[in-house]
Amino acid sequence: MKRRLGAVAFAAALALSACSNDPYPDADDSRAIFYTVFDDPPKTLDPQVAYSVIDHSVIGNVYDTLLQYHYLKRPYTLMPGLLEEIPRAEPQPDGRVAYTLRLRRDLRFHEDPCFERSSPGSRTRDVTAADVAFAFARIGDPAVDSPVLETLVKISGMREFGENLTKRRKEDASFAALRIDRQYAEIGGIAGVRVASPRELVLVLDEPYPQIRFWLAMPFTSPVPWEAVAWYDGHEGRELFAEHPVGTGPFRLTRYEKRSRIVMEREPSWYGARDPGAPGTVYPTDGEPSDVADGYLDPARVGKPLPFLERIEFRREKEDIPAFTKFLQGYYDLSGIPQESFDRMVHEGALSPEMSAQGMRLAKAVGADIYYIGFNMDDPTVGAPAGERGRKLRQAMSLVADTVEFERLFTNGRGIPAQSPLPPGIFGYDPDYRNPYRKVDPTRAAQLLAEAGYPGGIDPSTGQALRLSFDTPATDTRSLLTFQFWVGEWRRLGLDVQIAATSYNQFQDKVRRGAFQIFQYGWVADYPDPENFLFLLWSGMARTKNGGPNTANYQDPRYDALFEQMKARDDDPERLRLIGEMRAILERDCPWIPLFHREGFALYQAWVAPPKPVGMAFAVDKYRQVDPTLRTELRAAWNQPIRWPAYALAIATVAVVLPGIATWRRERA
Amino acid sequence: MLAYLARRLAWGVVTVIGVLLFLFVLFFTLATPDDIARKAVGEKAPQAVLDQWKLNHGYDKPRFWNPESPGDTMLAEHFRRMLTFDFGNSDADDTPIGARLRSGAGPSLAFTLPLFVAGLALGISLSLFVAFFRDTYIDRMGTVLAVLAMSVSMLLYIIGVQFLLGKLLRWFPISGFDYSPDVMIRFLAMPVIVGLLAGIGGDLRFFRTVFVEESGRDYVRTARAKGCGEGRIMGRHVLRNSLIPILTNVVMAIPFLFTGSLLLESFFGIPGLGSITVDAVNANDFATLRVVVYIDSLLFIAGQIATDFSYTLADPRVRFG
Amino acid sequence: MPLHIWINGAVALFVLGAAVATWRLRRNALWREAGRELWRRRPLALAFVALYSALALCDSISWIDAEGTGVREPRSLLVRAFPVDFQEASYSAPLADVEFYGGQPLQHPGAHWLGTDILGRDVLLQALRGARVALLVGGLTSLIAIPLALLFGVAAGYRGGWLDDLVLFLISVLFAMPGLLLLIALIMALGRGPVQVCVALGVTGWVSFARLARGETLKLRELDYVQAARALGVSELRIIVRHVVPNLMHLVVITFVLMFSSLVLTEAVLAWLGLGIDGSWGQMIDRARDELSRDPIIWWNLTAASAALFGLILAVNLVGDAVRDILDPRTLRERA
Repeated sequence: MKRRLGAVAFAAALALSACSNDPYPDADDSRAIFYTVFDDPPKTLDPQVAYSVIDHSVIGNVYDTLLQYHYLKRPYTLMPGLLEEIPRAEPQPDGRVAYTLRLRRDLRFHEDPCFERSSPGSRTRDVTAADVAFAFARIGDPAVDSPVLETLVKISGMREFGENLTKRRKEDASFAALRIDRQYAEIGGIAGVRVASPRELVLVLDEPYPQIRFWLAMPFTSPVPWEAVAWYDGHEGRELFAEHPVGTGPFRLTRYEKRSRIVMEREPSWYGARDPGAPGTVYPTDGEPSDVADGYLDPARVGKPLPFLERIEFRREKEDIPAFTKFLQGYYDLSGIPQESFDRMVHEGALSPEMSAQGMRLAKAVGADIYYIGFNMDDPTVGAPAGERGRKLRQAMSLVADTVEFERLFTNGRGIPAQSPLPPGIFGYDPDYRNPYRKVDPTRAAQLLAEAGYPGGIDPSTGQALRLSFDTPATDTRSLLTFQFWVGEWRRLGLDVQIAATSYNQFQDKVRRGAFQIFQYGWVADYPDPENFLFLLWSGMARTKNGGPNTANYQDPRYDALFEQMKARDDDPERLRLIGEMRAILERDCPWIPLFHREGFALYQAWVAPPKPVGMAFAVDKYRQVDPTLRTELRAAWNQPIRWPAYALAIATVAVVLPGIATWRRERA
Repeated sequence: MLAYLARRLAWGVVTVIGVLLFLFVLFFTLATPDDIARKAVGEKAPQAVLDQWKLNHGYDKPRFWNPESPGDTMLAEHFRRMLTFDFGNSDADDTPIGARLRSGAGPSLAFTLPLFVAGLALGISLSLFVAFFRDTYIDRMGTVLAVLAMSVSMLLYIIGVQFLLGKLLRWFPISGFDYSPDVMIRFLAMPVIVGLLAGIGGDLRFFRTVFVEESGRDYVRTARAKGCGEGRIMGRHVLRNSLIPILTNVVMAIPFLFTGSLLLESFFGIPGLGSITVDAVNANDFATLRVVVYIDSLLFIAGQIATDFSYTLADPRVRFG
Repeated sequence: MPLHIWINGAVALFVLGAAVATWRLRRNALWREAGRELWRRRPLALAFVALYSALALCDSISWIDAEGTGVREPRSLLVRAFPVDFQEASYSAPLADVEFYGGQPLQHPGAHWLGTDILGRDVLLQALRGARVALLVGGLTSLIAIPLALLFGVAAGYRGGWLDDLVLFLISVLFAMPGLLLLIALIMALGRGPVQVCVALGVTGWVSFARLARGETLKLRELDYVQAARALGVSELRIIVRHVVPNLMHLVVITFVLMFSSLVLTEAVLAWLGLGIDGSWGQMIDRARDELSRDPIIWWNLTAASAALFGLILAVNLVGDAVRDILDPRTLRERA
């Protein structure tokens, strides 16, 4: 008995001494490490394929892009990255347009065992124009399944390249067994992608497309070594290329446990470290006028070589509340604000005094995005086949969709109610435009509903409330609550809207088959150009017919004509006028109910040098800086464990049990 | 005894085959191969890519009967792979399943093992204690607390402990995992505590019943009459002879050491087998789900055979010759 | 016919069936004694169970108001005990007059005894309505699982031979598979409605009782009067119905009560996975899980659902223990 008691006491003492809620090893305390979270594992790290935010959080640091955005300047401005300068359009006599891409000197890939195959004894090699051509070839290769193929088929010969490749692979087994770069060479490469010299590439497009420069700023066009693609094929225990990136960037991936932890460390062979002075290799020296006051141009950072960080640690947090709690404890450096804690953090748009006292700071950014409810325009009841009735029905439903109330309930008022598909920051956005169907007017809505032939929401053919289906891809409780909100709004009109909640899988299936009526979606800009939003309603991108992102299947010939005219224009008054006309068409037809543009509120710790919020996705980790000493200090201060309840519990237990033992002893004696 | 063991093994094999059949029906009739392919490859993929993926993952063959070459069906493939432990790649991201499961076994064991040992030790000690003081207020209090503890949902325990110990008292990190030993203890403390709380109620009642029954036996009464101290009786005689039912519990629980707990691993962010399972469910990753259920069942069957076997060893009276 | 009419019918049938069963059992001395003993030992717990059952019943009977008067949807008896349109805009504390965030005045100040949730729905009403879901889960599932188990178990135990081997095989296979995963897979296949969830729970839950029933049947087969009946040439079916099954009833009752709480708790876990039944306490807990971290804390959602769940489970566990003690074959024999 005594020995057992002793063992218990020992275990308890051990447990109490291990008491600390610090999730990081003590050795990391004073290093320039940045801690942040991700919730869904990356799907792929293949730069020609990756399309989600978390994928890009890794890729953006490990791969450099040909062009990049200036960190501070707004509106978003391009500047050279791996290229020496931004290529200019060179119109050709036959109507096509050429761009000459010139790479910087002395660019090298990260060291990796895959290079042993091409040059035994060396673990790296220089980047050449052929590597950029290889990236384009991969985009054109249907087997790679790049999501931007359909957009970049404007490159001459891209489509033929893909078709020839597929045909040849099917017909000739020995060809299909060739190494990937040899396959591309055998086919002859893409006609519109020509290697002119080791550092020069000429790109030829079939038609004018000024937005091509934006695509050069994305990892899709980053140079990729063929050795890595060929070597990392998943055979013989090797990883897949999608899990083993080999790039040129300021960081390299050192730990990839994609379901729990991703670690990137500073790479000394980065061209910026070897040759500071190139754009994007030192912290910017200029930006917007307000940047000095906001702390983005502080002397500690201006002009200093990048990256500041030694390591970036991504930890997986599936739930945002525990993630936020850990942020408040000082274990993450940057965080969004979950809805539940919003009122504690933010008072009237500014940081609450309690949080400011802890040294935290707030950064706000309106995203270049649009969240909307869409109608399936192919549907016989709510879509184009219903003609004027359908239009009035859609307009009526739009008139009771109260975005302000929705934001109050679900996003703490964060977000700008949308009047049209274009968000602020994009050319064509008019802050004074008001969509007459985007204000709350139940009377007018009821009237329109009656005009549409559904007085009081009753469908005359059945004698009961008109039954509509709201098809949603999420079944979790949070999302269901938001859908129920909209349904509640429409119910007040008398409509009976049923939520058909399925898994994402099944939802996509429904959409593909055209078996849906009403849905809710969002779209975040790929690049800051209105074409990237307005194409979502262009018939060429219709979902059910062509598999494009025009999920509403909207097809209006006048809109299409205006779109063709507007899409490749420079930003001039004529373009503005065209956009205005398109907007008027959308206003009347109402294929979407534009809901809001998201406003991101981010909190960052006192020891993080102020990061400028960006409303678009591009890699900014190289600009980040932390003060590890301050961090260690504050963490210790905020996380003293409260030990007294343990002692109190132990004493209470003994107190309760002791009389019993005493009584029993007396009885037995 | 050998005959008995042989029979048990045969039964085990038959059950495994049954499990595989059941799994096939469950997984291959739930979703069409096209659905699985689309989920893995992407929505916009053309049919050719889908067909290629199905070919690579073995979903292209006919399910039950192939008139051209009997034996080349999904059913046969399924059996062949499972029985040779050739698990192939995940449907969701093409990573090898076997490697993933191996990497998940470590973290799962890291917290289920201490939980198991602590739970057993705590359960037996508390039950002995309560049985020692049977029919006093300690006993009654213990029983009441046990029923109370059993009536609380595991969800609530997790939420409560995370809130109390993690957020309010700041004793341990709220969730997460790390392989370095000094940090690992901090991460595992709360899941172990929650596991203990959730299990102690049932354990207490079960062991207490066994001990009380045992201590009512004749030989114990004799020992008492001869003047043996109660403590010695409980500790030496009662405990040893109560081993059989306890043993059943213990050996049956060993398979669960490896499979982890879905809830605990999910809430506390431990990248073990339970967490792999939840991920597979969310991603409709049928290949991984199939393998996990299969492994679970195998371990369970092995556990049953081991239990029966240990029965024979522990109790000389039990001979299933 | 609208759904609520079907449900009303089912409830009426159920009540009728329960009344008939109780009346017939009262004539049996054994059950009468057992009932009295139970009431003597655990009056409070029984009262609780009765209360929850009454709430469930009240929530199952619903009808639509006449044309032109009230709301056009069917409302249950329980819902009618509360004011019509008893909803606010968002959170409010128990017995408060104003909204929790923003301080705007409520439509029914002071009337929400347990406050309101994120969509403004009254928490007390939701907690009470959860009783129906819980009893549905426990009751309907048992209604599926127990007859299934009896069917397989008795058939296997009585007939023996290849039928026994087949059933044992089935039981072993199902038993070997991890229960929660099977449940998930089934629900993903069948869909997310209340009936489907109960069916899935029933299909995965019949196994252990089937084993028990089989074991008992094996013993019962060898009893004198059963052997006599067989020798006399009484049909198998008759023997089973008149001699075997009634002697398994005490096990049925014990199993039902013990399974009940585990089923309700399992549903709570399913709710966390998004696969539960709408309106259950598990769903309330899942929704309210994050509210503890708000500042100031929102505690009433989680507390109400947890207390309601805990109350029922505790009461059922206590009753279950007492039932098991009373119906234990040893005590039965002593009293008989």
